[in-house]
Amino acid sequence: MSAVDGATHREIQEFLYHEAMLADESRYPEWLELVTDDIHYWVPAGDGDYEPGSRVSFLNDNRTRLATRITQLMSGRRYSQVPKSPMRRIISNIQVLAVHPDGDGDGGSADEYEVGSNFVLYEHAVQATNDMRIWVGRTTHRLRRTDEGLRIARKKIELVNSTSALPNMAFII
Amino acid sequence: MELATESSTVGTGRDYTHLVQDYRVHGSLYSDPAVFADEMKRIFTDGWVFVGHESEIPDAGDWVARRLGAENVLMARTHDGEISVVANRCAHRGTTLCPQTEGNSRNFRCPYHAWTYDLDGTLLGAPFPKGFQNGKPDVRLDQPGQVDVYRGFVFANQSGAAGPLSEHLGPGGSDLIDRAADMSPTGRLQLNGGWLGQRADSNWKMWPESDNDGYHIIFAHESLAASLLAGSQYEDVILGGEGETSSVARDYGGGHVELDFRASYATELAWLGAPRSKVNAYCDDLEAAYGDDKAKQIMWDGPPHAFVFPNLFLGEMNIARIDPLAPGLTEHFHTPLLVESSDPGINRRVILQSEAAMGPASFFLPEDVVIAERMHRAFDTNPTDQHAWVDLRRGIEREQHSDGQRWSDITDETTSRGFWHHYRHVMSRIGEAAAASPNGSPGNGQG
Repeated sequence: MSAVDGATHREIQEFLYHEAMLADESRYPEWLELVTDDIHYWVPAGDGDYEPGSRVSFLNDNRTRLATRITQLMSGRRYSQVPKSPMRRIISNIQVLAVHPDGDGDGGSADEYEVGSNFVLYEHAVQATNDMRIWVGRTTHRLRRTDEGLRIARKKIELVNSTSALPNMAFII
Repeated sequence: MELATESSTVGTGRDYTHLVQDYRVHGSLYSDPAVFADEMKRIFTDGWVFVGHESEIPDAGDWVARRLGAENVLMARTHDGEISVVANRCAHRGTTLCPQTEGNSRNFRCPYHAWTYDLDGTLLGAPFPKGFQNGKPDVRLDQPGQVDVYRGFVFANQSGAAGPLSEHLGPGGSDLIDRAADMSPTGRLQLNGGWLGQRADSNWKMWPESDNDGYHIIFAHESLAASLLAGSQYEDVILGGEGETSSVARDYGGGHVELDFRASYATELAWLGAPRSKVNAYCDDLEAAYGDDKAKQIMWDGPPHAFVFPNLFLGEMNIARIDPLAPGLTEHFHTPLLVESSDPGINRRVILQSEAAMGPASFFLPEDVVIAERMHRAFDTNPTDQHAWVDLRRGIEREQHSDGQRWSDITDETTSRGFWHHYRHVMSRIGEAAAASPNGSPGNGQG
């Protein structure tokens, strides 16, 4: 059972598909436009049942660090992504888990949606090994309704194998 | 001494005095399975290897799973408060006892036939005692011949014949570990911030090389020059170009090497990238613990960027261990260098720095991984190529030496040569006899 009506669910689903396409195609500036200024972008180690920053994480970015990441990727000398990995991901099992009216707490009426989804991402690691790498996990988005449309205020990615040693993950997961 | 006799019979015939020369090393050293087998014996069985840190297992029953050369082991805190290192392998049929990476247990119980071991590896019991003479099989979990701890860092020597840990570390290795541990006002690190693993499809020796290579930083990590590095602690120490920094590449002997940035730091706490006002309580703690002079030195010098042979990387805000799994497969695990201080801000900053520097999504390590993997491809495809040499001559003419140490400009390959010099020593201790065999040259392929 979804926490939103069918039209809103479809809107959220389309947004996730759009985000996935930009990430797959390494369209970094366009992808970065989808996130809010107070974004928290987090790939925990293990279950993600800890406070970010209290233990080491794969990714634990605020907007500044995320922008640095994009600048690095855009430099043309982020060799772990030169050439860029061809990627395609399948997003499924999309569930709107909760709606938070006035989620940003500014007294306005903007809603925020807590959205869970699963993904399978195929990456062709063309930089050295030419492996086909498979990344699998659960994403929890916090999407905020803004004047520009939906935007990502939080993105948490729990990889199923995050306690293992992982190969390079320098792309947008 | 029986072990030493044994080792002289298992050499694979590689001539390490030929394969490792003063200014170049042969590419087959990275890819040849016979070399890897010799390393597992001569370096990771006969020598001391870093296993973990005692702060990871504070309470009785705490354990972590680790790699010790070719063996999976458990490092545990016993009911008596001692540190034990035992094989993660039932003495009955070899079943892995603990498949997880860490946990807390009263004992280790095998799922197959319920043989149960105390945390120190003693067999407590096996079901149906009438089938065993004396009611219990006379076995225990395998354990290394020696385990020793220095400043909380736990090392093990499988053969038991490596001599004391203090000799392995020498003054150079001990001093590097002291400098890392002294970052904590109590002198005790708290390595409880979790380990992150980075997999590389390359040989393990590219890690001691690249982790301690001062030449590549402004090139391989050039993508950071315009963003993260500008205005950071690294701007002064590595972006200056040849001869423009005071940083030094050091070889302490014994395979222990350092990229010594200390002389380049322009301010106190430059290594932290934060002024004192952000971590005042930490600095106060250091002064109270060590006195003003030593505290000041710690605040200026910061943690070392150094390698302790054969698998411990003291990577400034990170402690890392290198696990060789196969000639072309290595795992590099790191944990943030957390300290005991009344200031919660210091560890928070260290974790942020750790996340920026290391791990598969960090700003630095992915470039080192992809370069190691590209190097490995070059040698993996031509394991017998007589021309496949790695050139390490940079700065060899201008490096200085005294009292068993060597040092040179930060961009010189003194650190790599230091690693390989000791590697040759360890690998050819018994290889000299083997070198006389017809399989002694790299041109002869898999022996």
